[in-house]
Amino acid sequence: MYRGREGQWAFYLHRISGLGILVFLMLHVANIASAMWGPEVSNALMKFYHQPVFQVGLLFLIAGVLYHGFNGLRIILMDFTAWGVRYQRALWYGVWVLFVVFYLPFLIKIGGGILGGSHGD
Amino acid sequence: MAIRSKRYAEARLEASSNLELYWWVFMRISGVVLVFLLIGHMWMNAVLTDLNSINYDYVAKRLSQTTWKVYDWLILALALLHGGNGLRYVLDDWVRNPARRFWTKVVVYSLLAFLFFLGSLSLFNHDFGVN
Repeated sequence: MYRGREGQWAFYLHRISGLGILVFLMLHVANIASAMWGPEVSNALMKFYHQPVFQVGLLFLIAGVLYHGFNGLRIILMDFTAWGVRYQRALWYGVWVLFVVFYLPFLIKIGGGILGGSHGD
Repeated sequence: MAIRSKRYAEARLEASSNLELYWWVFMRISGVVLVFLLIGHMWMNAVLTDLNSINYDYVAKRLSQTTWKVYDWLILALALLHGGNGLRYVLDDWVRNPARRFWTKVVVYSLLAFLFFLGSLSLFNHDFGVN
């Protein structure tokens, strides 16, 4: 750990979320590519991924994408503005505000689906 | 080595080569584009659509339109380049043994190239005529 303040967490979360997104991308491409083996194979795989445990995983993924994206914008502001580095901590809290605003619709929609038991078929 | 500077001017000085600087710039440009593409992608398929209704027909219908072929292919290409380069930074940090780092990169880049091939195939193999 280096100092262990906000900047450190921003960095680690950025890295972990980035790696997580890359792992998901592999599964996602494989899933979509399964369509080339016909509807039966493809539908079976998609039904498999409709299980609640994977939908919870999807909620983590969406959180990762939103955090990585908004924190990436923070990095860009630090890189290309004169004031970005000075206000990096305030910007990080701004990242979380944006995160909550954008994450809520996903959480309500997907989380509601999981709790409502509308998964499977 | 990856660039650690937080300012473009410093990054230019720190870059060990022009190529490293181009990657630094690419990460920022592709990052901004991906934020918009991915929020759109997730919003359309997870908020406006019931995830549980997604099946072969849904994907086939969607990818029968050129717009979504191009949109999704742009995400695929940018995400693999952005993610691949990001992973390169991580491997440079975390895999200290040079020989092991080299072979890890060989495996990772091959896997990403295959993924790009597979993803492109599945996007463009979808029929234009499906209704």
